[in-house]
Amino acid sequence: MLIRENKIDPRTKLTAVILISSLAVLIKDIALLLGIFSITFIIALGFGNNPLALFKKLKKLALLFMAIIIIQSSFSSGIPLLRIGSITLLTIDGFTKGILLAIRMCIIIISATIISTSSPREIVQGLIQWKIPYEIAFMVSIGIRFLPLFVDEIKDTVNAIQLRGIELDKIPIGKRMKIYSYVLMPVVATTLMKSKRLSIAMESKGFGIYPRRSSFKRLKLSKVDYLLMAAFLVGAFTIVTVYLG
Amino acid sequence: MGFIDLNNVSFKYKDNQFIIKDVSLKLLKEDFTGVIGPNGGGKTTLGKLMAGILKASKGDVFIDGLNSQDLKLGAIGKRVGYLFQNPERQIFAPTVEEDLTFSLRIKGIEKQQILIKAQEMMELFQLKHLANQFPFTLSQGEKQRLALAGTLINDPSFLILDEPTTGLDIERKKQLTNILKKLQKKGVGMVFISHDDDFINNLSTRIIQLIGGEIVADKRK
Repeated sequence: MLIRENKIDPRTKLTAVILISSLAVLIKDIALLLGIFSITFIIALGFGNNPLALFKKLKKLALLFMAIIIIQSSFSSGIPLLRIGSITLLTIDGFTKGILLAIRMCIIIISATIISTSSPREIVQGLIQWKIPYEIAFMVSIGIRFLPLFVDEIKDTVNAIQLRGIELDKIPIGKRMKIYSYVLMPVVATTLMKSKRLSIAMESKGFGIYPRRSSFKRLKLSKVDYLLMAAFLVGAFTIVTVYLG
Repeated sequence: MGFIDLNNVSFKYKDNQFIIKDVSLKLLKEDFTGVIGPNGGGKTTLGKLMAGILKASKGDVFIDGLNSQDLKLGAIGKRVGYLFQNPERQIFAPTVEEDLTFSLRIKGIEKQQILIKAQEMMELFQLKHLANQFPFTLSQGEKQRLALAGTLINDPSFLILDEPTTGLDIERKKQLTNILKKLQKKGVGMVFISHDDDFINNLSTRIIQLIGGEIVADKRK
């Protein structure tokens, strides 16, 4: 049985994600990175994702990005951009590095959303047909499924702590750090317990008993997939050539 | 005016259908209110709306006279104690004793007073022998008792308990009933969401039946 044969194959999307994130890590030129960012944005839109909705969530990371820029700047030497007395707070070099890191993170996050338009089942199948061992492919799919649950778990724990009458915004930062350790404890403990339960359930269903696994569902690459993969490869090669040249 | 008032409250998750449909309620501190109904009827969602954990999509929820939209959870937690359906949701510390006391320490309550309160709660919920245990390795019933003790140690004016009898044996259910009756005498208002008919019938002064997100019955004994 072929699954979603009329849509884009998850392997095409995986190819795009691998190439984009590799480029984001490799390229250190701000103009090229901005170009990659725009291309990633268009590709994500093309695959039916809405990166603009993601930007609303990324807004929460704005402070983190700011902190990265300042920290990068503090540890970088170069022409000062902002000074207080004899202390240099921002340098042009540090500021540029910080901006590069922020763009890089945005590219990787948006590129990761491309794959989210395929179901975990399709992604596993794609990896298996790429000859990746089923155990590893299955682990990847569990990771993808688990991530939103993990986020919910953290939110619920923070809510539950506040319901003990703790007003987080009124607590000094030192004590707040201690509270976050109380968030981490149940999240880690329940994660470990859940994974233990999952492994028992999987083993009781005979996971990994047979050396080979047949698959009822099969993916088939279409002409569009081949064309897209070729376009991604050519595009990535061109960007690397421009960067190195 | 009740301690918790729901005025024409409806609730839905994002673009889904409404789970709670135009519910209006006044919850008094003098009442022992039981919320019953089939699975998926919206009982837990209603409980979370009452506690301000979820905010109404339509209508208003007032807690102690204040609109829950304007209240932070920490401020609500000072007035309302909420027991989650899954007790693991409200266990935070590496030992039973620390789990009971950490919120009091953060609030800056005196050490001696914290110790007295913790001993009182551990005695009441028979947790004394487990004081130094890692809470996540406790049995379901023990976790439930710890979560209840952790909720009550903050002296809330109103309690919302979601399935409080889950995992408790008959003897401990009786003890819980007695504890809740004592709290009622102290003037603590209560809502409990439960499938446990005996528990509901034994304690409730008011029973609300919820089906498909709508109140189909609201009777006082």
